[in-house]
Amino acid sequence: MIDAMKSKILKNLTPYLFILPGFAFLLFWIVFPMIKAFQISLFEWNVMPNSSSIFLGIQNYVRAAKDSLFWLAVKNSFFYALATVIGQLFLGLLVAIILDRIAHGKIFFRTLYYLPVVTSWVVCSLLFKFIFNSSPAGLVNYVLVKSLHLLPKPVTWLNEPGTAFIALYALGIWKGIGWTMVIFLAAIQAIPEDLHQAALVDGANEWQYARKITIPLLIPTIVLTSIMLTIGAFQTYIPIALITRGNPIHRTEVILSYMYEQAFSNRDFGYGSALSYILILIVFTISQIQMKFKKEENQLY
Amino acid sequence: MKKKLTPIFGIAIVFALLLCACGGMAVGKSAADESSDSDIVEPAEVVAEPVTITFWHTYNEISPENEMLMNTLIPLFEAEHPNIKVESLPVAYEDFRTKLFTSISGGVAPDLARIDIIWTPELADMGALASIDEEMSDFADYMDLLFAGPLATNFWNGHYYGLPLDTNTKLWFYNKALYDSAGITAPASVDEMLDQCQMLKAANPDVYYFATDGTWAWVVLPWIWSFGGDITDVEVTTATGYLNGAQTVAAFEFLKELYDQGCIAPVIMGSGIDTFAGYGQDVYASLDNGPWTFPIVESQFPDKEISISPFPAGAGGSINVVGGENIVLFQQSENKEAAMEFLRFVLSKKYQEKMAEVGQLPVRVDLIESDFIKNHEYYGMFLEQLKTSKSRTAHPKWSQMDEIITNAGQLILRNEKSAQEALDEAAAQIDELLK
Amino acid sequence: MKKIFKYCINQVAFYLVLIFFALITAAPFLYMIGTSFKGQSFIFEYPPKFIPDQPTLRNFIVAWTSRRFDKFFLNSVVVTLCSTISVVFLSSLMAYGFSRFQFRLKGFLNGSIRIFMMMPAMTLIIPQFILASKLDLINTLPGVILVYIAQNIPLCVFLLTGFMQQLPRELEEAAEIDGASPWEIYRTIIMPLSKPALATIAIFSSLGAWDEYVWAMTILNDPEKRTLPVGIAAFHGQYLTDWGVVFAASLIAITPIILLFIFMQKYFIKGIMAGSLKG
Repeated sequence: MIDAMKSKILKNLTPYLFILPGFAFLLFWIVFPMIKAFQISLFEWNVMPNSSSIFLGIQNYVRAAKDSLFWLAVKNSFFYALATVIGQLFLGLLVAIILDRIAHGKIFFRTLYYLPVVTSWVVCSLLFKFIFNSSPAGLVNYVLVKSLHLLPKPVTWLNEPGTAFIALYALGIWKGIGWTMVIFLAAIQAIPEDLHQAALVDGANEWQYARKITIPLLIPTIVLTSIMLTIGAFQTYIPIALITRGNPIHRTEVILSYMYEQAFSNRDFGYGSALSYILILIVFTISQIQMKFKKEENQLY
Repeated sequence: MKKKLTPIFGIAIVFALLLCACGGMAVGKSAADESSDSDIVEPAEVVAEPVTITFWHTYNEISPENEMLMNTLIPLFEAEHPNIKVESLPVAYEDFRTKLFTSISGGVAPDLARIDIIWTPELADMGALASIDEEMSDFADYMDLLFAGPLATNFWNGHYYGLPLDTNTKLWFYNKALYDSAGITAPASVDEMLDQCQMLKAANPDVYYFATDGTWAWVVLPWIWSFGGDITDVEVTTATGYLNGAQTVAAFEFLKELYDQGCIAPVIMGSGIDTFAGYGQDVYASLDNGPWTFPIVESQFPDKEISISPFPAGAGGSINVVGGENIVLFQQSENKEAAMEFLRFVLSKKYQEKMAEVGQLPVRVDLIESDFIKNHEYYGMFLEQLKTSKSRTAHPKWSQMDEIITNAGQLILRNEKSAQEALDEAAAQIDELLK
Repeated sequence: MKKIFKYCINQVAFYLVLIFFALITAAPFLYMIGTSFKGQSFIFEYPPKFIPDQPTLRNFIVAWTSRRFDKFFLNSVVVTLCSTISVVFLSSLMAYGFSRFQFRLKGFLNGSIRIFMMMPAMTLIIPQFILASKLDLINTLPGVILVYIAQNIPLCVFLLTGFMQQLPRELEEAAEIDGASPWEIYRTIIMPLSKPALATIAIFSSLGAWDEYVWAMTILNDPEKRTLPVGIAAFHGQYLTDWGVVFAASLIAITPIILLFIFMQKYFIKGIMAGSLKG
């Protein structure tokens, strides 16, 4: 009887034994920090250990709402997301559609386009900082001015927010095309080849086929991919930290770089944590939209 | 029953092993102990138990200074103090404050650090530093031994929070070959600069007359002071009337004129060819920089000739910025006695002499008058410039003040605001900080 | 005839577009390789050259020796191996628990895993740092590893649970009748069957650990303890960036990943697509 009870308890316990070790990690390094971050965000947090901090309530959040530099960072993040998501989607789709149609060398091109995806952000960022050098000897300047004659004179790329963001967008798109390409390629290959043959027999050209058949069929994939890319874009930090450091005058700051700067350079952990929570809120909101689309998609098919 | 428990044990054991393996590998790979036992001179008197002290500094990782520290001076100290091991950590200048704050907040500050003199008030004000004058029994001896100016940068709110380690200032570095090609010589006065620049550009269209890497205070202060301006009053109570005074405005207007005429390289706006690289590759004809220029340029461009002259004089004279580092002891240090032993060592004649060999100006009165310094190829001119150089504002909020000045400079050079307008606003912002 | 002609025109146009993109993709890499063989005086030579006139190995030697790059490399290997092995082990246990058992907190725990998946990693950096300092983990590789494990578990559990749910149950049922414990089933049946999915999450988490920069940069102080990304970023100095050394170091760092990628493309692509699911 007691044995039976013991074995029943053990049986009920078994799944927890499998889940516990991993979950302990999450409790410790994610759940606890989440609570702690919220607590910190309510204080003017004193970085000196064992010293008291001043309770501010929601003042750090109010401060964020009034902080014009933070809003500029939000705006920059938003435009970064817009530009890089559209760029990656459009070019990735273009390359995927073409790649699906060529006779030879598919694997070669796919591997090549994918290289930036597996290269670390630190390396890619430093590389782009180097090729977008302001001097006439910078690679991008040289190619645009001397080789292609597209620009009258060298551009001081990273010294103006507008052109600095062109470099940052270029990096984001360059690094991501390979990824969207692979996803679209998988989706395109799921479309029956008969459709293509039938369309060609009806006299459609490749462009008409892509526009009328392929792209409409890819819409769900495009929507989901764009949401994932948007969430990723809002989490961009490394390129800003290594290429512009937010310069000039904080005009190229994005949400995370501004958060890091406030927390670690101005040693304002309270304000930094409040900014973190605002970003978490933004990302969760976008994720909810994603969930909604996913559900609709499931209903469709 | 027994069987069902296996998963727990399995998990626990594998997990423990995994973490141990990771931890073990990480720890086990630390550098081999390099101190040799044969050199022991005397038993340590200060500490009975073996201790390790950590020393953070901004000596560039691959620099002659760091090599001297790591290969000569620390081994020497460790031989004299067999119970004290010194762990020396180079931290990049631009990451230094951040790294310090994070370590302090985690309660893991180093024992000692060599910091920019201008960070001392901030760290002292937040309570991170130990007051040396109370901790060190022989502090009074150092009052006479060290230069008053650098020593004063350690004073905050009634106490000394560190001791000076080295001092420096900046000079006008120029590329003699380029200057000769244009038929010009080092400018004695700022008034010559625009003409010189035009002559230089006529001879070498792709060369910039002057290059500097931003508009932070370290860069713009020589111009402000040499034009007779300033940032605040002497008591550091207000910036209005100083930062937006006529002389400071004139200094910024002059920089803007130089920039607009293409005399200052675009790197002042944030990016481009680094100043030393441009100097080494004959793209920048002059720099305003410190003694470390010699080792850096010599190591990267061995054949480059380096010429120096005093900073060009303006209405206020030829005034540059006093730089340098202090050595500070942290409140969190658990080995204060051992740390102070090392502190005494870095101020010893031996250490200061050795470091002078690799480009660091000593702070000991007796050394500055030594033949080595007097006969040195370039220290003389730096010492001469130091006579007129001034210190930046000693204030816990200096970093914020510096950012306000940097931004004002950017707004002016970008032609977004007139010098008067930008500096009026900057002065108001600094007044707000000083309240 | 006309049809074949049209086909050829199309193909030519296609290849032109692909080659154009190939050039844009490859040019920065080629320029990086070229620069890594240039001496300091040729870094900003005009006009810029892809192939240096006087190639030198100096940058590779400097990167590898005087900057202790060998140590960075070893640290990165240790961090990546330890965190990946732990992640694969812990998430496979959890996924097994979620996919094979019914229990009271299942819905709640599963839901929280989904939420953790979407947490932007960097937003918790402040409290994680405070926690690490309380545990004396600042400036240690275990401090780096523990956080990488926590960062990667949620997504890996999510992916593996999905995979395991689709595995056929006949083998397990037979084993259960023979008296095998859940642990034995996990070890002898589920794990071998899950190999492809395990490879995917292993690649996903090792790429993450190999490339991670912000956390490592924040908690590591000692140059000897740096991982590759932190080490490379540290080459990029304030006064003078030695670009040749930066790129020599970068090449050393990315070569193993690129070689692995070329030989294990299938798993890589799955691993990275998996990574994107992390919101």
